[in-house]
Amino acid sequence: MEITFTINNEKRSLEVSPHQRLLDIIRKDLGLTAAKEGCGKGECGACTVLFNGEPVASCLVLAPQADGAEILTVEGLISREGELHPLQQAFLDTGAVQCGFCIPGSIMTGYRLLQDNPEPKREEVRQALAGNICRCTGYQKIVDAVQLAASRMQSGGDSSWAQDL
Amino acid sequence: MENSRRNASGRPKASGSDFEAEQENIQELGREVPVGSADYLAPKSLKKALEYRSRYGYKAVVIAGGTDIMVDYFERLSEVSSWLDLTKIQDLKEIKFGPEKIRLGSMVTHRKLATDSRIRENLPLLAESASEVGAWQIQSRGTLGGNIVTSSPAGDALAPLLAYQARFILGSVSGQREVAAEDFFTGPKENVMTQEELLIEVVIPTPREGTLSRWKKVGKRKAMIISSLTMALLLELDDKDEITAARAAYGAVAPRPIRATELEVYLTGRKLTEISAGKAGELAAQEISPITDIRGTVDFRCQVTRDITEQALLGFQQE
Repeated sequence: MEITFTINNEKRSLEVSPHQRLLDIIRKDLGLTAAKEGCGKGECGACTVLFNGEPVASCLVLAPQADGAEILTVEGLISREGELHPLQQAFLDTGAVQCGFCIPGSIMTGYRLLQDNPEPKREEVRQALAGNICRCTGYQKIVDAVQLAASRMQSGGDSSWAQDL
Repeated sequence: MENSRRNASGRPKASGSDFEAEQENIQELGREVPVGSADYLAPKSLKKALEYRSRYGYKAVVIAGGTDIMVDYFERLSEVSSWLDLTKIQDLKEIKFGPEKIRLGSMVTHRKLATDSRIRENLPLLAESASEVGAWQIQSRGTLGGNIVTSSPAGDALAPLLAYQARFILGSVSGQREVAAEDFFTGPKENVMTQEELLIEVVIPTPREGTLSRWKKVGKRKAMIISSLTMALLLELDDKDEITAARAAYGAVAPRPIRATELEVYLTGRKLTEISAGKAGELAAQEISPITDIRGTVDFRCQVTRDITEQALLGFQQE
């Protein structure tokens, strides 16, 4: 069956089968490999994407359920000029990326958190990212990264990034 | 989040490629079903959904948020011959606040329950339990109706629904019926629904002002965990601080979510200050019938039930 959806601001139509998951079509059919398959059972958060504006485990969404949906993955955070989103940059600057497997999911949840709460407290970041498991256990720096991005985005300027550290 | 292959009512056995048996079955039912052409049904109206439900019954796997069913069918999605997806039915996502009753559509998500200010104010047990389901990713998709129909004894919404005396509206092409939450669950992942029915709405009598309530979830982690046990305790007091009604509901401590009636009898008619919290905890622990599994032993569940009940009552007394 054919479904139509918007992914990273691009409208796409795809032939999918009801035996596929959203994660499968994002990674295999569209070649967007940021979202990862960790557990495949909605427990680890590595496959997190924004689905109609909310973080979801894309391994638990049936591909046909994406018909008409708006989807955002880490690939869609990069600007047209190829610049990283402040949240991505903050993950690099704080050293929040260890093996990197959980990072695309963590960034998407963090991105959604900052929409609701532009200045989250530490505990609020931890709460929001509770569904993104980092098996390198690099949680401190992941929380640092979200808070750093928040402060950079609040101050609005890019030039002060280095000083923030 | 339950990784179980047991079948709930409303959940089909994956029939695989057993095409002939399916055909026979269909002929028995005397209905024309275009097998093979209907692998994914996503009606926009409830009426259409009920028609499909009537035609396909257990042959079509009903999917709402998918947070349980996709785990159940992990790595065997190809065994599902038909899906009946309810996510396009807008009518089932509504919340209506009446003077006496709050009506929640079965497709309301946990996230909505956790963040809606009127739900938090009027139904705190439900809002708090929803905020502890899995994590954000699960709450965005998982639905109240899904939690109910899956009927896991560990379903986080179930103890609150029992404490609030919720009633479930089940619909089919031939009409509707109402079932009390307490009568709905019949065993682990089993309930009274037939293969023609869908859960449409959850109706909760609006709690009186000044109702005291306490929600507690105990699990091995703080997030992304199936509950080892849950408690939803609710007390209605009169102006003399006397308990006029008490409802104590527990999850994951029996084959189905239960109310501790002996405890409720003990609490009712007494002044809050006269209650022995210790005795209340003992009564709760005596009434549950837990099993030992990966989420906790019988001893653990009995001790923790006693402790959280006692703590909840001490908390009320200090307020």
